Amino acid sequence: MDATWLAQWVGEDIAFWLAYLTNGKHLQWYASFRFTIFAAVFGALLALGFGLLGAVLKSSRFAPLRLIGDAYTAMVRGIPDVLFFLFFPLAFEQSVEWVWSLHVCTPESIAASQAPWPPCREANWLLSTNEYLILACFSLGIVYGAFTANVIHGAMRAVPKGQLEAARAYGMSNLQVLLRIQVRQMWVYALPGISNVWMLLIKATSLLSLLQISDIVWWAGQLGAPNFLPQAGLVHGDWRWTYYIALFVFYILVTLISERVFRRLTVWARRGMPVEG
Amino acid sequence: MMEILANFWAEFGVFAYPALFNIYFTVTALPAGFVLALLVAFGKNSRNPVVSKLCAGCIYAFRGSPLFIQLFMFYSIMLALNPVWWRPMGISWLMMHPLFIGPLVVVLNTTAYTAEIFYGALRTVPRGELEAARAYGMSSWQVFRTVTWPNTIRIAWPAYTNEVVFVFHCTALIYFTLPVIGDQKDIMSKARELFERDYNAVLHFSMAALWFLAISLVIFFVFGRIYERLMRHTSLETAKPKLRFGPKYLR
Repeated sequence: MDATWLAQWVGEDIAFWLAYLTNGKHLQWYASFRFTIFAAVFGALLALGFGLLGAVLKSSRFAPLRLIGDAYTAMVRGIPDVLFFLFFPLAFEQSVEWVWSLHVCTPESIAASQAPWPPCREANWLLSTNEYLILACFSLGIVYGAFTANVIHGAMRAVPKGQLEAARAYGMSNLQVLLRIQVRQMWVYALPGISNVWMLLIKATSLLSLLQISDIVWWAGQLGAPNFLPQAGLVHGDWRWTYYIALFVFYILVTLISERVFRRLTVWARRGMPVEG
Repeated sequence: MMEILANFWAEFGVFAYPALFNIYFTVTALPAGFVLALLVAFGKNSRNPVVSKLCAGCIYAFRGSPLFIQLFMFYSIMLALNPVWWRPMGISWLMMHPLFIGPLVVVLNTTAYTAEIFYGALRTVPRGELEAARAYGMSSWQVFRTVTWPNTIRIAWPAYTNEVVFVFHCTALIYFTLPVIGDQKDIMSKARELFERDYNAVLHFSMAALWFLAISLVIFFVFGRIYERLMRHTSLETAKPKLRFGPKYLR
């Protein structure tokens, strides 16, 4: 395509940089933002699900369930998120392979296999990027679900007792009180905490490249690495710092926008409630 | 059964040396981060709008972006500066060493988080006490030493404990971004290396998790003791706020 008109319009330099920033590899980099966005959105939804489940377990009247809930939230507290992030997909993959190997492996094939894992070659499961992405969403959901569980657990107890008693006096069953009053009223108290967890979660989406997903961080490293072509010589030196600074700014902007959205959401959730202080 | 236990015990010892690296990153980063955070918190609290905005902006930038990106960013900046600054100055061996860059980035990161904690605590120092101190004719240094500082540190301590554990956990990210030199591996990279050797994910990663959990508990215990000492003037057991395991979940 002839783009000289563009060069005449904006000048040679800007036209060059526009061309550079829209070349094939850069377009792939921009496209890879979909992994990050997908992981953030579905990770957050799963975290909310796990959080609700954890909060219900934590406030359960049945001691073993309560213990499970407490253990879940306390475990995530003492262990770094990156460890869960790596461990859960690997463990899931291996357990699927193990179950599968019970069906497909014969004693001969097990004896023939040299590698320590999987038990036989037929049971090998090679994960694609999309499968890793879904597993990554689940590990984000599990880790930040524990954080959410604590937030929601606290928020459920912050719902004024009078409202619950009033509901019970109207003849609602325990489940009805929980679903119709407690869960609906607690969001106002949970929102600041949930906003915090969301900020942690979007920061954790930068870890996707650890699961062999070609996400924005991986592409930044690829695009910025010194580019040497045998025909052209050194095209550019080490530009990685520019790309990483761009990502640094990107995440700050995402945080900024999230903060705005949550502020709006809080105002909306608090409508009709008496103003404190 | 005995074999499994013996395996577990042997595995436990493997992580002792790598754990030293996580502890090294934490211990070297915390004191510098603590002092810098105090300065930045006072800067954000300052009445000079330029200083205040600048400090607030730095805090926002480092709290609003992932440490993983910050590590990549600073490492690549150091790489770019290597031929122009470090190599001519002959300090490239120091500036490019992961044991230097790692703590450097962690310091910047923890400074922002800790400064926000201190800033929040600074703003809750009782106004009456400050006014009383000033009415006694104390200099501003005396006011700081006798009123502002003791109040700030007591209010901030539970949140700071939390931050220390977070810093310890985030050191697990360092060797994902910086080059591993020889056998200088932290717990996470050791676990990954062992995993790649025999694909026993459950054993290696749960042992790594156990080490992190154990050291986190030690941190909570030590900082809890310090908190009790900070709060020793408060009335008997009934009123004394206890620092529990995980008092706050959020950074």
